[in-house]
Amino acid sequence: MIVEKIFNKWILVFLFLIPVLGFIFEEPYYITLTTKVVILGIAGIGLNLALGYCGLISFGHAAFFGLGGYVTGILSFHALNSEIMFSWPFVTSGSSDMLVIWPIVILSSAFLALIIGLLSLRTTGVYFIMITLAFAQMLYFFAISWPNYGGEDGLSIYMRNSLPMINTMDPLTFYFICLCWLLIVIFISAKLINSSFGMAFQAIKQNEERVKSFGIETFKVKLLVFVISGTITGLAGSLYTDLNRFISPSVLNWQMSGEIMVFVILGGIARLYGPLVGAAFFIVLEQTLGSYTENWQFWLGLILILEILYVRTGILSLFEKKLKYEK
Amino acid sequence: MKNKILNIKNLSKSYGAFKVTNEITIDLHFDEIHALIGPNGAGKSTLIKQIVGSVKHDIGSIILDQEDITDLTDVERAKIGISRTFQVSSIIPQFTAIDNIVLSLLDKSSKTFQLFKSISNNKELYSNAKKILKEIELLEKSDISASDLSHGDRRKLEVGLALAMDPKVFLFDEPMAGLDESGTNMMINLFKKIKSNSPILLIEHDMDAVFALADRVSVINYGKIVATGTVDEIRKNELVRDVYLGYEI
Repeated sequence: MIVEKIFNKWILVFLFLIPVLGFIFEEPYYITLTTKVVILGIAGIGLNLALGYCGLISFGHAAFFGLGGYVTGILSFHALNSEIMFSWPFVTSGSSDMLVIWPIVILSSAFLALIIGLLSLRTTGVYFIMITLAFAQMLYFFAISWPNYGGEDGLSIYMRNSLPMINTMDPLTFYFICLCWLLIVIFISAKLINSSFGMAFQAIKQNEERVKSFGIETFKVKLLVFVISGTITGLAGSLYTDLNRFISPSVLNWQMSGEIMVFVILGGIARLYGPLVGAAFFIVLEQTLGSYTENWQFWLGLILILEILYVRTGILSLFEKKLKYEK
Repeated sequence: MKNKILNIKNLSKSYGAFKVTNEITIDLHFDEIHALIGPNGAGKSTLIKQIVGSVKHDIGSIILDQEDITDLTDVERAKIGISRTFQVSSIIPQFTAIDNIVLSLLDKSSKTFQLFKSISNNKELYSNAKKILKEIELLEKSDISASDLSHGDRRKLEVGLALAMDPKVFLFDEPMAGLDESGTNMMINLFKKIKSNSPILLIEHDMDAVFALADRVSVINYGKIVATGTVDEIRKNELVRDVYLGYEI
């Protein structure tokens, strides 16, 4: 475990160094790539709380990622075009201020997670997987059939949303905004995992029947975990829209849910930094193998199979094993 | 009625044509250990599940401390004071022994939804958990992962988990199964000590332990209570000897 903790610190050092080196050597591509790792890492950390720590195998987290993205895109779209978004109960034409957008994204993602959680958490196992998937697919098809915001073609925003006194158009500045969010999310997740609430949801994953026998309302615990998880993933969706200055229904598709799940599995289920490592590994593979073949995901599948057969608990667990041999 | 803390009336549960429990009427007095014995498959564990609410009954009523709990959920029943052990050890395998106990203390101390305060810094909870571990003679193994405990130690931990909840009644489902002699003696002494605070409905196949502990014994066969009485009355009961005890005791 000690080796894993050292490795985690090195991850943060790399996350600081790579974009700075990209800036020094005038290679903004690496800054953008690392920003993508950080954002997808945040999405994965969100899912990991539900899936890794509480055993809620959600196959619908794209719903939150996409909602966060669309809320950001729509607010920004109206603000940049000075179009009225709605006129009741008050008139608003959106906002391109991140300080306005983020709270709205957080509240709307939390609300969606609450609704989905209230309905889906009454089921378990494969039914839970299917019901979460169904919700995300409903939103996907809704986005496709909503021409006001680009329908299938998606929605472009020609300027990144702003923060007071900060030039968010600068790739390095935007990167550090995302990195701050990552650190906040890691801090909050670590606090949750080590709290009595964290103890309860980690126990539910292992033996829910027993936890109920202690008088603990497992439904409420799972619902709260699901809401926090969905909210974090929604926030990642918001940053993702700002990174690309574009949002399309593809981020609501089941493939996106699958990708977020792959980050968690690759890096290490129920490991705080696991999804971040998984996202980094995924993007490195995409960039390296993708330059040789369009079908790079074939190799990703192969790696996943090998990992599940031989490592099982993710890349980070390799470092835990190393310590045991050293002893 | 006043001296009864738990009063079960006509509790029945059928799966199709098969009646697992058939109009069971049984009660538990203050300060007593009431043993429930009977052959395998007689319906003992199903009765426990019905009392805790994890299996819904078809008809009947359950009164706990003069409160009708028949329509409460399993979590609500645990909250108001029914604590159980499981026939097959049911623990949180990846938690240490002490963390298992701390978990069982959470609801009572209203700490379940404390989101950001580190649980390991809660000295009061861990100190209370240590007291429980001492009672069940597991203090030295408090930091061992529950999955690495021996079978006997898991049985002790099971009882510790129930103990930590400080309930109105205990429902113990074969707590001594697989324990060695010293473990069994420890349990017997512990049960004698705790019954004055929280009476015990005890399912057990170890007849020596049952006869050493029980104030009353009920015998269940094919889902029906066939006899209830003191240890001596049950020992002498011809029907009980026929269906369960045999003639060598």
